[in-house]
Order: sequence, then C-alpha cells, then structure tokens
Amino acid sequence: MSNTATRIRIAGAVVAAAASIAGLAACSSPAPSGDAAAAAPAAACEPAKGNVTLQYWNTVPGMDQVVALWNKNNPNIQVEMKNISNDQYGTIGNALKAGKAPELAQVGYDELPDLRTQNAFVDASACADATAAKSKFVPWTWSQTSFGDTGVFAFPQDTGPMALYVRSDIFKKHDLEIPKTWDEYAADAQKLHDADPNLSITFFDPNNAEWFNGLLWQNNAEMYGYAGDKWHVTVESDQSKQVAEYWQKLIDAKLVRTDLAHGSTPMYAAYQKNQIATYVGAAWGYSMFRDNLPDQAGKWTIVPMPTWGSSAASGDWGGSTVAFMKGNTHLYESVKFNSWLNTDPEALALENKLGGLYPAATAGSALPALAEGVPYYNNEKIFDVFADSSKNIDTSFTWGPTQKTVNLALQDALAKATAGDGKLADALTAAQAAALKSMQDQAIPAVAGN
Amino acid sequence: MTDIATRGTRVVATTGGRSRHNGGGPRAGTIAAFLIPFFLPFVLFYLVPIAYAIGQSFLVVRRTGGQYGTSYTTFGGFDQYVQVFQNTEFWSSIGRIGLFGIVQVPVMLFVALIMALLLDTPLLKLKAFFRIAAFMPYAVPGVIAAIMWSFLYSPQLSPVVDLLKAIGLQPDFLGPGAVLWSAANVSTWLWTGYNMLIMFSALQAIPQELYEAAKLDGASNWAIAWKIKVPIIAPSIILTTVFSIIGTLQLYAEPAVLRQISSNISSTFTPNMLAYAVASGNNYQQAAAISVVIAVITFVLSFGFMRLTSKRAGL
Repeated sequence: MSNTATRIRIAGAVVAAAASIAGLAACSSPAPSGDAAAAAPAAACEPAKGNVTLQYWNTVPGMDQVVALWNKNNPNIQVEMKNISNDQYGTIGNALKAGKAPELAQVGYDELPDLRTQNAFVDASACADATAAKSKFVPWTWSQTSFGDTGVFAFPQDTGPMALYVRSDIFKKHDLEIPKTWDEYAADAQKLHDADPNLSITFFDPNNAEWFNGLLWQNNAEMYGYAGDKWHVTVESDQSKQVAEYWQKLIDAKLVRTDLAHGSTPMYAAYQKNQIATYVGAAWGYSMFRDNLPDQAGKWTIVPMPTWGSSAASGDWGGSTVAFMKGNTHLYESVKFNSWLNTDPEALALENKLGGLYPAATAGSALPALAEGVPYYNNEKIFDVFADSSKNIDTSFTWGPTQKTVNLALQDALAKATAGDGKLADALTAAQAAALKSMQDQAIPAVAGN
Repeated sequence: MTDIATRGTRVVATTGGRSRHNGGGPRAGTIAAFLIPFFLPFVLFYLVPIAYAIGQSFLVVRRTGGQYGTSYTTFGGFDQYVQVFQNTEFWSSIGRIGLFGIVQVPVMLFVALIMALLLDTPLLKLKAFFRIAAFMPYAVPGVIAAIMWSFLYSPQLSPVVDLLKAIGLQPDFLGPGAVLWSAANVSTWLWTGYNMLIMFSALQAIPQELYEAAKLDGASNWAIAWKIKVPIIAPSIILTTVFSIIGTLQLYAEPAVLRQISSNISSTFTPNMLAYAVASGNNYQQAAAISVVIAVITFVLSFGFMRLTSKRAGL
C-alpha cells in the first residue's frame, strides 16, 4: 500500500503544480482592434519574382499523380502535396491554430462556412483569373465557394449529385416500374415487402447526416439564411418535416432497414445477399458498387431521384472544394494551379480515373470518360443521369457555420428515433436547437426562423 | 540480514557526510543530470498540457464584425463549467458509464481473481499455457479488439448470431439496450488477463511458509484461498479496481469503433466521446472544461475508493 500512498502524494503535487501554471496559461488572445475586426480585404495578387513552392493538402486517392503532372510542366510553380485523409479537419484546424496552414487545402462544401467562421480563408478575388472562373463551374458550387459572390475563397472541385441506384433484376422479378416520385417509391417499397419480408427497398442510416441533408436539399429545405447581420436558422421547416415524416412512415411500416451503417461491411453484405433493392446515392457511389459488389455487374441501373412534386429536383451529397488558406502569400500562383487542377480536362480526367471525382466544372461532363457507357452498369451512360441531376440542384442552399456540431446532433436524434425513442421529425427540433446553441457558443449572432 | 542493512545505512551516511564537506556543487549537477531526462518531458508533455487545458476552460469566445467576423477569446470565469453542469448529455454519459462500471468492473475483477487463484493452485496443469492464453487479449490493441468483436456482433456477418438464431434465439447485440453491454464485453475480454496478471504476481510473492502453517492447522485449499490469499493480495485488488475505475471513465475506443456499425451509440455515449465531439465543433474551451470535470470525477472516485477500502482493510 505504501506505493499507492506515495502515488497519491505525487498526484497531489502534480495537481497543485498544474493549477499554479494554469494561471499563466489562462492568458487569452486579445480582442482584435477595429481595423482587424472588419472583413479581411482581398489580398493582393502579384506574381512572385522567383520560383514558388505551394503546399496543397487533400484526401483524394491518386492526387499525387495529378500533382506530378503539374510539376512536370510548371518548373516555376512547384506543388507539394500531403494526404490528410486520416483526420482532414483536425489536421487543417491544428495547422490554422499553429499559423502553419498550407496555401491550398481540400474542404467539403458543408465545412466552408464553419472554417470561414474560424478565419481560415483568404479572399483571392484580387486575381482576375479567380473571379473569371465563375463561369466554369456548376452554379450552386460557385455560390457556395464565393459565399454568394462576396469573394473567392475556394474553387469547387467535385460534387455528389444524387440519383437512385436500382437493382433492375429485382424490380423485374417483382414486376415493378421505376419510381418517378417518392409516393411511387413508397408504394414499390410496400410491394417488395409484401412479396418477400426479407427484402427492403433501401436502408435509412440515422448516422449519416450528410446523406439526410442531401434529401433535405432536394426538397428545398433551406436550413440557413443571413439577413440583418444575423444568421437565420430554419433547420426545422415544413420542407424538412415533410422529408422526415416520409421516412418515418417507411420505418414504421418496416419497409426500410435502419440497422446498416453507410459504407460498412454489413451494408455491403446486405446488398450482396440481395436483401436491398435500391440505393439513394451520389455520383461518387458508382465506383463503390462496382468495386465492392463485382458479382452484381449488369444488375444495377441508375435513374433520377424520385421527386416530391412533378418538377425535377435533386440534391447534392458530398463533394469538395480547394480553398485558399489563411496566410497564403502566393495567391497568383495558387489561382493558376487551382484553376488548372479543377478545370483542365487532362487534370479532371485523371482525378476522375484515380480518385473517382465527379467534376464541379461544367466542362467535366464532356470528359470522354464521363460520356461513355460504364460496363458495370450494362454500358449505360450513367453520368448523363448525374449531369442532369447536377442541373436540378437548388443553388441557394446554404450551410451553417457550425454544421459539424449540427450534423452530430441531428444524427444522435435520428438514431434515437430509429431505435424507437421519438420520431425523425424530433431530430429536426434537436438539430435546430443545437444550431442555435453552437452558434451562441461561438458568439455568432443567430435567430430562429426567417 | 540485520547486519547487512545496518552496514548499508552506515555507508550511505558516510557518503552523505563527505559530500556535504566538499560543497553541494558537483552533486547538485549530477542530480540535475539524472533528473532532467524525466522532468523535462514530464513538464512539457504532462504538466503544460494539463495547465493549458485548465487555462482554456476559463475562456469564452467573443466575436467582432458581421457574418464572418473575427473571433477572439476572453476570460469567462466559470461560464464553461456552468454549461458542463447544465449539459444533460454530459450527465447521461456519466450515468451510462457509471452503470457500465458498477457492473463491468466487479465482474471483470471477480473473473480475474478466480483465474489468478486457479493459476496459483498446485492442482492446475499447463500453467504457463493458461497464463499466456489469459493474458493474450491484452496484447491486442483495443481498437483491433473492438473491430473484431463488431464483426461477431453484426447480424450480417456474425457466425455467433447465426448459431443463436439456429437454436431459436433472436440476439441483437447492437440494439439500444444491449450495445452498452456489448461494449462492456469487449472491455472485459481485453482487460481481464491484465488484471489477473497483477493479482497473480501478488500471489506469487506470498511466502510458502504461510501455506504450510495453514495446512498444519488443518486449513483446506478453499480456506487458504479465501482466508489467506485474498486478504494478502487485497492491495493488488484495490489497485486493479482503481485502474479499472479510471479506465471506465476514460472509455473511448470500444464504443467509438462499435459506433461505426451501430447507430445506437451516440456521439455523446461516453464523457470522452462527448469531449471529442465538442472539440471537433471548434468549441475547445467547452471541451477543456468537460475534460477537467472528467479528471476531477476520476480523481474523487479513485481516491475516494482507495480511502474507503484502506480504512476497511486496515491497510
């Protein structure tokens, strides 16, 4: 016991010492003066005198080969890249705190306002090439990277326009039509379930807020707005409730599974065992099925998302931008590289081939690889479906400045509902509250409702 | 025995006297040279981070300017702590972990004790094999163990689930009620062997004479185990309990891995998961306050338990 007693004393001393040092560490960062508090002016855009080396952090498989191609042709602007897929936002956040952010970093659309609230970006609009790039990208992506044309903080890279993946063999066997609306989809779900109780039309993963947000986006469920110097939080709206109540009905009737996590081994096992007939997914999902379920080649087809009304509308799930990071003193060169990376046909083709990226550049849909039929999908031109989907995405959709926290709260509450504690619509209430609370914690002015 | 000890003391005393004569200079330097390799990392990687966390926990974020104004931090007193105490998610995670600990720790330590006592009986054959076999899970990293178990729990992949279904059961290891105990099972599997080894090494240190004396007095193996062995290794059992209490409050890896396949583990399932979720939302100050509160609760529980048991056991 004497050993333990010594340990207690040492531990006591440690706490005392720590407490005394705490006084020193508690010095806080000073309030910025009036000038600094104003929105950072667009940085100058001068070419550097000598050679420049840019740092570019990303999570795209095969991106090193794309960068190597650039480096070969541009000896004066060399790019060094680092793959940060282990902990993308943790790595970026730590680098920002340490003042060592790279010139360029990959940031998801839904994380842009969050990082901008942390002062992570620099405005590249002083570069003529940057502002001129607007016409080269799908409208909604530019709207999000330019924060409604108030600057150029990132270039769009790829997107995840959504569509419906259908097991045409299962649909044929049960004599079902491809659903055009969500009502038809629900009716098909019922027919499949009646024919075979072990067969579900799809699964609802409550731990996938990004996917659920894509569904909300499709229904024009605007979650955030900005007016009168305040954020307006409308996570809980009639449109979002309509989506939640729809899926609640499917779950209550046991027409969709709720026990599968997206992308998990159990999910693929369920598809492998022919237990699930459709997948509500994004463009980048095409390679997931091709690579994980090779046995099912020729059995899948991709069709537009079912719609709420008669007019075509789609949502986006995922995709990323390449952002100009704080401290970037080589904007001119950064814009040159970033522009090549995300609009040059050769670069886009390589990124699509190696990383499976579906380009945000409008020219992307003309890529040979995206114009051809895909063998796994019966040689169907599946990218035409995604290109149409991309055109039907609401351009005014805005992400919140604390989206990550809101997504976690949404997921936790959706999971409660699928476990039988409450309803999916309650999750919208929880997410709405989490949005307001987290914005208050970050001293971001916000109110509920329009 | 006494002679050697006395002589030893005398030698030390002489050396001490001599060095006092020669002045403290070189000796202080020597001490410093030996201590710096410990103290420097200790201060840098232990005290400073703790102090930094405590410092952060007293700050709040403020902001100037419009929609994307500049943020700064300022002293906020106990603001963050007030929020921790008002956070129902925090208290439900503590409650969940409390339930976990009250059940899992006694079960695990009881099994470890029984295994240690069995290994210590002369009756058991293949001792080396059983010792290593029982200790083996500890060599598996916690995350790997959790992934492995998650495959055994998943209804899509698990042969165990298939087997139970074949005999008419409907197990749902990942369901809302069961998932806590599925995580507890992983922890138990991982840590029982480790705790057993601590108890077993304490048993090995008991002099054989005690057993001989007990046998001469007519004590059975059973009586020797419960009346002699267990009381003597009580300090080890207390130590393993304290380690387990600390481990329980810091539970992270097992539920975080199971969360990958079960939505019934929320992002705030354990206090550490909550702190991580809050930090990933850029609220470092609140995460620091949560961490400090977890540390204080751990401190109070561990030392409270030690004080309670040392009084009882007369240690």
